[in-house]
Amino acid sequence: MRASTKWAAAALCAAAALSCAALLLRPAGGTTAVVSQNGAVLWEIDLSRVSAPETFRVEGEGGLWNVIEVQPGRIRVESAGCPDQICVRQGWIDSGGTPIVCLPGRLTIQIKGEGDGVDAAAG
Amino acid sequence: MRRLRCLGLMLALSLLLSCCAPKEYSAQTFAMDTVMSFTSYGREGERAVSAAAAEAGRLEGLLSVTRPESDIYAVNHAAGAWTQVSQETFDLIGRCLELCRACGGALDITAYPAVRAWGFTTGEYRVPGAEERVDLAARIDYTAVELDREQCRVRLPEGMELDLGAVAKGYAGDVLAGLTVRSGAESAMLYLGGNVHTVGRKPDGSLWRVGVQDPQGEGYLAVVEVENQAAVTSGGYQRFFEAEGETYWHILDPASAAPARSGVLSATVVGDCGLVCDGLSTALFVLGAEEAARLWRTLGEFEYILILEDGSVQITQGLEGRFSLAGSGEGREVQVIRP
Repeated sequence: MRASTKWAAAALCAAAALSCAALLLRPAGGTTAVVSQNGAVLWEIDLSRVSAPETFRVEGEGGLWNVIEVQPGRIRVESAGCPDQICVRQGWIDSGGTPIVCLPGRLTIQIKGEGDGVDAAAG
Repeated sequence: MRRLRCLGLMLALSLLLSCCAPKEYSAQTFAMDTVMSFTSYGREGERAVSAAAAEAGRLEGLLSVTRPESDIYAVNHAAGAWTQVSQETFDLIGRCLELCRACGGALDITAYPAVRAWGFTTGEYRVPGAEERVDLAARIDYTAVELDREQCRVRLPEGMELDLGAVAKGYAGDVLAGLTVRSGAESAMLYLGGNVHTVGRKPDGSLWRVGVQDPQGEGYLAVVEVENQAAVTSGGYQRFFEAEGETYWHILDPASAAPARSGVLSATVVGDCGLVCDGLSTALFVLGAEEAARLWRTLGEFEYILILEDGSVQITQGLEGRFSLAGSGEGREVQVIRP
């Protein structure tokens, strides 16, 4: 083989390996929580990387607020200023089943990824 | 040289595979008093999800019971007079009345005064007294709704009010799924506040896996696989309040104007038509296991999953092979209902 052919072969090899890697290493999407307000994504939190409990507060329209708590592998609305408290009562979620919804606050928390093998939950 | 060509081929193939996974487009919108999210795949996915979000808003404007500009509001506030509505609303009311008839009144689209009296419309919950409940039950009667096809008009006796809450999201699923297909998307998952409506199969060719919420806990207890179908659940856990140790939920028995207690914790209906799935899930919850099986044997064209108070599960024959227990449902008894 001539030197130039060798280089070409090496380059092709590298490219093939890279694109194979891209194919295999696409994010598996384990347990990522997507926090949205009014349909816009505020945060995407990889729950498998949460090591200690943490809370943060979201301010909504008209003085509404939600305090979100994350723990390793799960997420909930810890408290909220909404009148119905449905989001708080729903408790922790850890899989792609029913999302947490605060209708008054227009806040949703959905777990995405196919880690649990469900595309959506009826309920 | 041959090796080189071979490598080139491999490269082309893997590039093709890594680039050609259909792109995913999502949109979320608040409409019909709930949250909806749409996910479409493929080239037309983006157009499909934004069209769906806009359409959901239009349907809310047409069918809302609280918006003064809606057809339903106009009918409810006509004080017993004929009211002109859009052709779409007229046809929908007609189909809903047929559905109410098909399930012997277990679904009734005239329950709004009762739902309001219990506080489910505002969140200011209360338990109406026995006398009040008798009066409320007397005002629930879908057979009193009059339709004038010639002039596209609807009339209700005074004191009665329509509420399409038990069917509107299901109907919206049908409309949005149709819109998604027309937009050119071949694969989509429409989530309408607990209702699931699927278009086609998943982009990888497999069936959509829909979880069935555990009515007594977090997460889901079963998975059902669907394609091009809707799956809708009605359960007492979805909206309820407690007073003096009793739990009262939002699904009322039209016969008593009180929360339906039939031994069913949740009813999930799977079928081609979202409207039918939505209405029937409410009806099955009201009817209970025995009557649900009877209705299924008479009507056909839908399948169901019931979660009963004793924790057991009933599924209809058509779901065999695409239903499996999962999560908190594992180990439960499953009874298959057959024709």
